[in-house]
Amino acid sequence: MFLFKSVQAWFVDVVAAWNRFWFQPTDPATLGLIRICAGAMLLYTHLVWSLDLAAFFGPQGWLASDAVRQLQGDTYTWSYFWYIESPVALWTAHVAALVVFAMLTLGLFTRVVSVLAFIATLSYVGRVPGALFGLDQINVMLAMYLMVGPAGGAFSLDRWLKSRRAGVPLPVEPSWSANLAIRLIQVHMCIIYLFAGTSKLVGPAWWDGTALWMAMGNMEYQSLDMTWMANWPRLINLMTHVTIVWEVFYCALIWPKLTRPVVLLLAIPLHMGIAICLGMVTFGLVMLVGNLAFVSPSFVRALLSWGRFSQGRSGERELPVGSGNVTKPVRPAAAAASRKR
Amino acid sequence: MTAEPQLPDSSHQSRPAVRAALSVLIALHVLAVFIGPWAMPPQTSELAASCAQIFQPYLETMGLANGYRFFAPEPGPSHLVRYEITSEDGQQIEGVFPDRNQHKPRLLYHRYFMLSEFINTLENPNGPSANLQAYSKSYAEHLMHEHQAKSIKLFLRRHYIPRMNEVREGMKLTDKRLYEEHPLVLHKPDAP
Repeated sequence: MFLFKSVQAWFVDVVAAWNRFWFQPTDPATLGLIRICAGAMLLYTHLVWSLDLAAFFGPQGWLASDAVRQLQGDTYTWSYFWYIESPVALWTAHVAALVVFAMLTLGLFTRVVSVLAFIATLSYVGRVPGALFGLDQINVMLAMYLMVGPAGGAFSLDRWLKSRRAGVPLPVEPSWSANLAIRLIQVHMCIIYLFAGTSKLVGPAWWDGTALWMAMGNMEYQSLDMTWMANWPRLINLMTHVTIVWEVFYCALIWPKLTRPVVLLLAIPLHMGIAICLGMVTFGLVMLVGNLAFVSPSFVRALLSWGRFSQGRSGERELPVGSGNVTKPVRPAAAAASRKR
Repeated sequence: MTAEPQLPDSSHQSRPAVRAALSVLIALHVLAVFIGPWAMPPQTSELAASCAQIFQPYLETMGLANGYRFFAPEPGPSHLVRYEITSEDGQQIEGVFPDRNQHKPRLLYHRYFMLSEFINTLENPNGPSANLQAYSKSYAEHLMHEHQAKSIKLFLRRHYIPRMNEVREGMKLTDKRLYEEHPLVLHKPDAP
């Protein structure tokens, strides 16, 4: 009987922890910030396709439809570009997608455009396998989770218009689906780093400490000449070892409050190093956008000084104590000072 | 027995039935997200491959069939495609992609870089694969269309990375010894 009750209590605890983890209502501030950053990245990524649209997506492009279809075989990969043949239709679809990404960034009709943005992102990716890299994978991931939660629940035109229509300041609306979207991004980021790290463990260069040199010494990737670092082999060894330890253990060390700031701070030099030295600014930045999921909504509001702005103009109020991930409302110093005045 | 902690505002909470249904979907989704890279070739177990087969429709439809193996197992040489074109009037045109001077901004350059890198991944030690042939033909036909060409030759150029000690001794990244090249395709419009 005692055993049964213990197991039952354990099971109830597990269910409670599960519900807390996925369904605790939270301030959508972090999701709102991710929407702005991911939306801007989607807009830029697809704007660049405009420079060579026909060469990649047209019938006479680099990736002929029969070659791509042969490669994809019986897969479920799909794209609406397969149904577009004329240049006018191609450009119409492209401009429509750009408008969708711009609206997502601004947070206008966010619920609808987040779904359209995901469909568009997948369609571009499905049409040009061979011209893709990590940026596209993270773009798809972020676009997917922006559909899940109220991505327009903070820092959006939707919010501003709603407040204007109501004629009164609107309180921040904690949402369980905002938490769900953030949790899904967090878990997905952990899986990404886990495999990014463990897949490197079979590479001798990650063990002998020369892997980062091989990245720096690659002229086609290089955007900043770092070959002077050949004179600092131990520094390269250290950077290589730190990189792999960080990636492998990210999925564990990102959760405790004690280690999370260190893991997040290390993400900045690591991804900015990729951005600046290896010429992959977009990839480096989009990985940092994914890492934003681990930044609390209160910190986001404090960082953007949104509290002061919202009190004065947009009408968003601080969260009540204990709402979702926010254990204590953050009152930015500037906002507090203005109230004193 | 431990009671579920009281959430701050019940109006913002999901209903238990919704939570239960979503919990199943979340568990399946997270499992799929994990299986995607876990089952990604070349190193994969039979178990992983079987799981991936079950989740394949979902993974591929949602764009989740990714390995996330960035710079793994280790950064290697880069690959470029060089082409030699003979135009209708007999003129010889040579070029390489990606081309830093031609392809700007950097993201567009990277798209071209991925085109040349991708074709290397299709190379097969047992001979040219059907996908390699199809992609080479596709690149060749695009270039011929762009340049109104009569014939074209494509080459895959591999650019190795010098060791640190070689750079310390004065070797440049552009040293000729670091390059090797082999033909990809010889293509004429009438060729089968």
